[in-house]
Amino acid sequence: MPPDPAASEERSSIPATAGIGLRFQHHQAVIDTRPDVAWLEIHTENYLGDGTPLRYLDAIRADYPISCHGVGLSLGSADGIDRDHLERIGRAIARIEPALVSEHLSWSSVGGHYLADLLPLPMTEEALDLVCSHVDETQSFLRRQILIENPSSYLRYRHSSIPEREFIAAVAARTGCGILCDVNNIYVSACNHDWDAAGYIEGLPPAAIGEIHLAGHSLRQLEGGQAIRIDDHGSRVIPEVWALYVKALHRFGPVPTLIEWDTNVPALDVLLDEASQAAVLLRHAEEGSEHASAA
Amino acid sequence: MPALLEVQIATYRGLVTGDDGEAASFVDGAGLPPAARLNIYRNTFVGTLTTALRLSFPAVYRLVGNDFFESAARLFIEAEPPRSADLDAYGAAFPDFLARFAPAATIAYLAGVARLEWAVNRALHAPDAEALDVSRFAMVEPTAYGRISFLPHPSIGLVRADHPVDDIWRAVLAQNDADMAAIDLGAGPVALLVQRLDTGIDVKRLTEAEWLFAEALCASRPLADAIEAAGSLDMPTALAEHFRMGRFVDFTLTEDARAPD
Repeated sequence: MPPDPAASEERSSIPATAGIGLRFQHHQAVIDTRPDVAWLEIHTENYLGDGTPLRYLDAIRADYPISCHGVGLSLGSADGIDRDHLERIGRAIARIEPALVSEHLSWSSVGGHYLADLLPLPMTEEALDLVCSHVDETQSFLRRQILIENPSSYLRYRHSSIPEREFIAAVAARTGCGILCDVNNIYVSACNHDWDAAGYIEGLPPAAIGEIHLAGHSLRQLEGGQAIRIDDHGSRVIPEVWALYVKALHRFGPVPTLIEWDTNVPALDVLLDEASQAAVLLRHAEEGSEHASAA
Repeated sequence: MPALLEVQIATYRGLVTGDDGEAASFVDGAGLPPAARLNIYRNTFVGTLTTALRLSFPAVYRLVGNDFFESAARLFIEAEPPRSADLDAYGAAFPDFLARFAPAATIAYLAGVARLEWAVNRALHAPDAEALDVSRFAMVEPTAYGRISFLPHPSIGLVRADHPVDDIWRAVLAQNDADMAAIDLGAGPVALLVQRLDTGIDVKRLTEAEWLFAEALCASRPLADAIEAAGSLDMPTALAEHFRMGRFVDFTLTEDARAPD
């Protein structure tokens, strides 16, 4: 099914081209060199205070559209989302005025303790109802649509009964939120759980896709001889993930695409080089969809 | 089928205390045992928080080295897991933890350096605030000056230590071995004021009297009380310096300078 161009128009004021994750190490380089990249994404939690980080961001966001990517709201917490944290990110978003706001399909907190990781949920009707109510609560509080990202995962719960792609599609359908499709996460989870990565992408609703993430991951050999893929965002995107990205663009049409790099962060040029590779594939997708609409 | 809350509490217990028997019973072990799967998340939990502490306490990290820091951080994280997703605010209790941490006892100044680094970290992330407009004092009767209580700028931090931790902190972060070697560890205690200025973080040494005065004022105690707390001090000069540096953002008049006991 060809993508609906009208839906793409409405997605955001972030252009359907490549951006990079802005990390502290690159604040000064971005201010000094004003690199040729279409947009930047930050981790919302790194800018909750008013201090020095936000001053750098103020100097940068005048020239680049910003996407705020949250890692701490814990939309899947059974005992409710942390209203104090929601208010903190609400203040940051009001101040930063991002074009996109996103969070994860995962949980991080229980009983007032924060586990500093994006833990997978059991894929059950109970979890689906809960996540939907928390996405509703977040969208009403922020008075805007958010995007929800599919997580990478290293475990599944025995009592899960809904495939993850159906779960996230249902959250989008019931709450009106968008989907941040992390192609690397799909690849990592598919390898770790023996899923069909291409089938995952085919199962997502194109009109809901507001952004794509690409990143590197590592392959860790465990003591028992097994291997597991770890989503550490510490290297270049691997060819298998680029190939899956091409499939995603074919299905979704051109979508704002982000290069994420969080550990062993390299020179800014390396990120820009990865982004330019994504930009080439996005242009192909653009031409492809023009041909499709002309036909 | 376990309820979601039950799964999350069991997983929390598994990651933080290592007691992962119940959590493992919920996890599909095909291809890899549940305990090994949970261990990946435990490593991320400890690793992410260790990194957050390393970023907030860079001089402590350099003073003790990677292995010592990681083992101290792991024990601290297990004892005091974060209460919120705002990791800039995580680590307030780390200096006290280091002060009680027996293996660190040989580095007598370590907890003091950590207290200074926490004040610096707080100053970096504190909200912006406009400095107090001193022309507003025109409204106050001179007889009421003693009842003025100030609201300090949110970036202000006050630290006292038994060793010259400001010199140690600067030398360690600059990786300047000559400066480090020149520090006289027996030079006695220091009283410090930390503040974020437009030019960056300022760490200033105060006299004991100036520090006590600043501490009382920053606790919003009335001026008359602060003068008494400071003892011998050139009060007008000290107060003018606080105004000049923008250390207060507001003031109120307390009803009584000293309530009767």
